[in-house]
Order: sequence, then structure tokens, then C-alpha cells
Amino acid sequence: MSVVDAASGPPPDVAEDSVVRPKRTVERILAGNAWIVFAFLYLPILLLVVLSFNDNRTVGVWTEPSLRWYQAMFTDRNVLGALRNSLVVAFISTVVSTVLGTAAALSLERFRYRGQRAYDGLLYLPVIIPDVTMAVMMLLFFVQAFDLLGAVLGVNASFGIGTISLSHIAFNISFVAVVVRARLAGLDPSLEEAAADLYASRWQAFRRVTLPLIAPGVAGGALLALTLSLDEVVITSFVAGPGSTTLPVYVFGLVRRGVTPLINAVSVLMLTGSMLLVLTSLLITRRRDEP
Amino acid sequence: MTEMLREPRVRTALAPDPVAESGTKLPAVAMQGVTKRFGGGRGGDPVVAVDDLHLDIRDGEFFSLLGPSGCGKTTSLRMIAGFEYPSAGSVRIFDQEVGLEPPNRRPVNTVFQSYALFPHMTVVQNIAFGLEMQKVPDDEIATRVGEVLELVQLSGQARRKPSQLSGGQQQRVALARALVNHPKVLLLDEPLGALDLKLRQAMQLELKRIQEQVGITFVYVTHDQEEALTMSDRIGVMNLGQLLQVGPPEAIYDTPRTRFVADFIGDTNLLSAEVVDADTARLTDGTVVRVATGRPVGATVTLAIRPEKLGLWHADAERDLRLDAVTGRIRRMTFLGNAIVYEIVTETSGTPVELTVRQGNTPGIEHFEPDERVRVRWWPTSTAALED
Repeated sequence: MSVVDAASGPPPDVAEDSVVRPKRTVERILAGNAWIVFAFLYLPILLLVVLSFNDNRTVGVWTEPSLRWYQAMFTDRNVLGALRNSLVVAFISTVVSTVLGTAAALSLERFRYRGQRAYDGLLYLPVIIPDVTMAVMMLLFFVQAFDLLGAVLGVNASFGIGTISLSHIAFNISFVAVVVRARLAGLDPSLEEAAADLYASRWQAFRRVTLPLIAPGVAGGALLALTLSLDEVVITSFVAGPGSTTLPVYVFGLVRRGVTPLINAVSVLMLTGSMLLVLTSLLITRRRDEP
Repeated sequence: MTEMLREPRVRTALAPDPVAESGTKLPAVAMQGVTKRFGGGRGGDPVVAVDDLHLDIRDGEFFSLLGPSGCGKTTSLRMIAGFEYPSAGSVRIFDQEVGLEPPNRRPVNTVFQSYALFPHMTVVQNIAFGLEMQKVPDDEIATRVGEVLELVQLSGQARRKPSQLSGGQQQRVALARALVNHPKVLLLDEPLGALDLKLRQAMQLELKRIQEQVGITFVYVTHDQEEALTMSDRIGVMNLGQLLQVGPPEAIYDTPRTRFVADFIGDTNLLSAEVVDADTARLTDGTVVRVATGRPVGATVTLAIRPEKLGLWHADAERDLRLDAVTGRIRRMTFLGNAIVYEIVTETSGTPVELTVRQGNTPGIEHFEPDERVRVRWWPTSTAALED
């Protein structure tokens, strides 16, 4: 590809012509709309970031720039505890759901078996189920499961990091499976046959051929799972136990007690984290087109 | 003129018949009663892709499975490779039953229609893959990969990725990746299908050269009759899951056994006739021709004669008792450059017979015009009686 470009050089006129400038009124309105949407999306973010550097105790009144609230955030034991919980839950649920979701995608894409269609449809249910419904389901499930565990094994289980992680795994599997499957669908099945033909066992064929080729999809799915887990509020607040609050749930609680600039700083931290994750996932998925 | 209708060469005068030569040798691939059914169960009736296939492929030969798409040739190949398991029957490779073995436990390698090169590996990594899986020592891998790269003339492209290669080069990598393992049988699934005509013709000769050089049995699946005729030592013609005829290209072309084989390979005149006795049959226009009928007297039989085996004379040409002949009128003439094709309708009583005659455009050949009365003559050995 680069050889062709170097040989022919950049075509001078085409680049200029391909930029269509809005001329008629309708086109101008459409172009203006793009800017309005852009502002609609990003002005609040800008406001949040700016105000997080505000020295004043009152959220909306600007006095002078300072890092006071960031300092407060990193010394607040509640914030740090919630952050730690968030990271632990995100890590566990991402690892487990990536493995299970990838396996589910492989089985749906590569094999034909009884009840596959039903499984196919049901797997994606968590993607469309409202969060509140999912939260109530999870809560009910855990209560029943705890009763059963207590009755049969005499184990006394309770809500906490474990239940949060399990709930996050439950919805993340679907998202990972969707992303990985899209990648798998574009993969020539004869590549795996070729690996088997060349004396690779099933595991070797997966390890050496399939996995490297679907790696961008797996990584994309994992990042999506990580992002979703870090941002999740509704389900987590239902199944969290005392002392196991995650960061977004903690922020939500803070708001109810009155907004302080500390929330701004915490929100900027979460925003930055999410944006970094999305950026990474974009970079990874873009690599797929390169040889 | 008579030069053109030389008596056909007798087959025993050709190169030694591979049948006699390797009659006692173990077949490279032996398929016995192999049947493959797809689907069935709740979905409805199963589709029979391959139906009771019996086939011996000899050691060292270039064998082609030829047939239209959906005839079961690829499924047969995939059962030898291990990508499909037979519903019934046995597949043996050098007398070892492999019917239910997975592909990685079979001493065969495949060149895929889509090449199936690993896009994330370089040419060398692709070719070395099979040897690595077999735990061949590194220095031996290097030697063998170097050798095979030379064999397919790709030594300069070793460090490239498949996407940086042309179609023809990718094809060579796929071939090298299979051959480097020294398989007992190499399976090729329409490997030239994606190439343009010129490249395809060059690769046909190349494949034949490589096969002769390495001496490995090639099983080649194709729907292109010309490809099969050009390269193969023997051809198996398939249709609707059944193997219809197996033989050297000359036998398949000159003495087709069924209507399908006669029609699918090359152009042919199919004539309806009635059996007179064991050696003669009567065409619908009353002409009696000599042919080994193998049918009871009075039975109807279809005769096949290739257009280029028919000779064209003026209607008043003297009789030659060694030849069969009909008289007719030229209905149409088509000039093809290297040949001229005449459509002829006979003039005798009864239902007229329509014949296509193809004359090579060689110097001194006589040209005929439409509506001219002509005599069509051919050697009786050119006529084949079909089984259906």
C-alpha cells in the first residue's frame, strides 16, 4: 500500500475537491447543528473539569484555581476505599467475563448444537434488560442463594465485593460475547482447519491462530467490560453490602447529602479513567486493519 | 484430407499403462463404501453429499476429482483430510484406517481454495508452522523451509506477510506450507480458482512440475475439465454424490461411459440409436453404424461422438468401407479462428440426425458453405455407447 502511495504521490486536486463546503441554507443549518450537538455534549464536561479546580467551597461560585479538592480526594479514606473496591470488582469481573464471554462467542460461532438458537438469543438478554430489573433479579437471586447455602452447607454468606463482582460478571459476559463474536464472524473458518491440517491440536490451533487473530476483539471486549464495571451504579447499589461501596455508588450517595466540589474532583477522576479506556480500545480496534 | 482422419492410436501403444505398472502397490488413498450425509434430524431429510464411494488413488499419481459444484468432490476431499467424518464406509491412507482420525493425526496436508494463510505470520512462519507443531528441531526447520521456498520460487519473499503478496504468490506459499511437511498425500481444493486465466495456466504447468519433482500423490479437486485433462494422470468424474467414471484423461475423453461424463467433458454429439446386434446400431435416420453396444437387440442406446473426430467430405466422395458415414446438408457454419464448426442435418429417411463437426483450421483444409451437401465420415472406434 505504501509503495503505491509513494509511486503515485498525493493527487493534488482530489484532496481539495473532496472537502464539500456547505453552500445552501439547509446545509449551513445542518453544519451548525453539528456544532450545537458538540457543545451540548461537551460543555457540561468542560464545566465539570473547570469547577473541579475551583478553590471555593460552594460548587457554582468561582474564586481561584487550586488543587485543593484533588488533595482532599486522595486523603479521604471513604473515597480511597470506594476506589479500591471499584478497582477490585472491575478487575475480577473483567477477567472472568472476558474468559467466559470469549468461550461463549466461540461456541456460538464455531459449533452447531441443540438449543443453540435459544442460547444465542438469551445470551444477549442482559444487554437490553433495564438495569433496575437486573438489579432486582440479582438481589432476589442472592437472597435465595444465601438461604440455600445456609440451609444446606451451613455457610453464612453476605453481600459484599463477591456479590458485586458476580453481578458485574453476569452482565459483562454478554457484552464481551457480542464484541468477540463480531470479530470471529469475520474470520475464515478454514484458518482453523489449516492449523489442524498442519498438525496443531485444538488447543494449539486456538492459541497460535484463533486467539492472535481475535485478540483485538477480546481486548476490546475486556475494555468494554472494565468501563461498564467501573461506571455501574444501579445494580451495584442493590447488591453491595456495608463497607463494600464502589466509587460511582459513593458519589451517588454524596450527591444526596449535598453537592461539594469534592464530587467534581472524583467525577473528573472517573471521567479521565473512562476516556483513557475508550481511547485504548479505539487504538486496539484500529490496529485490526493493518497487516 | 485423409490425413485428418488417421486411424486413432491404439491405447496400448501409449506410455506404459499405470494400471499394470502399479497394480500390486498399496493405494495411497483407498475409500470404500464412503457415504456422507448432512443434516437430517429434526430439520428434515438428510442431504447425501457423497453416496457409496469406492475409489483407489495410486501412490505417486496426480489424481483429479472432477465435477460440477455440489457434486460431492470437495466433501470427498475433506473426508480424506479429516475435516469431515464419513457417515459410513472406510478411508485408508497407505492401508491405515483414518476415517475417524482428526486432521492433525493424518499424514496428509491440504492446499485450501482460499489458501487460508495465517495473516498474522510471515511467509516463513506460515511454512514453518506444521514443522513446529511436529516438534522438528529448529535447524532442520530452517533447512526444509529454505528448500521448499526454492521449490516454489519464493526465496525473496520470506519475511513478508501474506497480505503483501500477489494471489499467485499466496498460492505458492499455501503449496509450500503443505509440501514442507512431506505429506504422503497432498490434497488440493480448487487451488487455482481465484487466479486469472493466464496465471492459472502457468500454475497448472508449475503444479505438474512440482508434483513430478517431489513424487508425492496429489489429489486435486476441480470443476474445470481442461485443468483436470491437462494435469492429471487419472481423473474421477463425480455428479450428485456419485463417482461415475475413473480413468486416464484420454479414456475419460474418448470413451465416456455415461451421458453425464460425455456431456460434462468437452463437446459431444449425443445420438439416439437402436441396437441391431453386438457390434452395430441403427441411428434414427436409418444409418447403421459400428459400435460395441453391449445391449440386447432392439434396445435403445445413446451414442457419443466427439465433433473433432468427424471428417467432412463432398457428398460424392468415394466410399471407404473402414469408415462409418452419413450424408447431410450443412445448416450452419461458425468460424472460431483455430477451427470451423459445422452443424449438419442428415437427409435420409426417418428422423434426421443432427451432428456437429469440428474441423481444425489447418492449411489445405477444404471449407464448406451452408446448404452444401456433405458426407460425414468417422472411424468406428470413435463411437462410444453410453450406459444411460
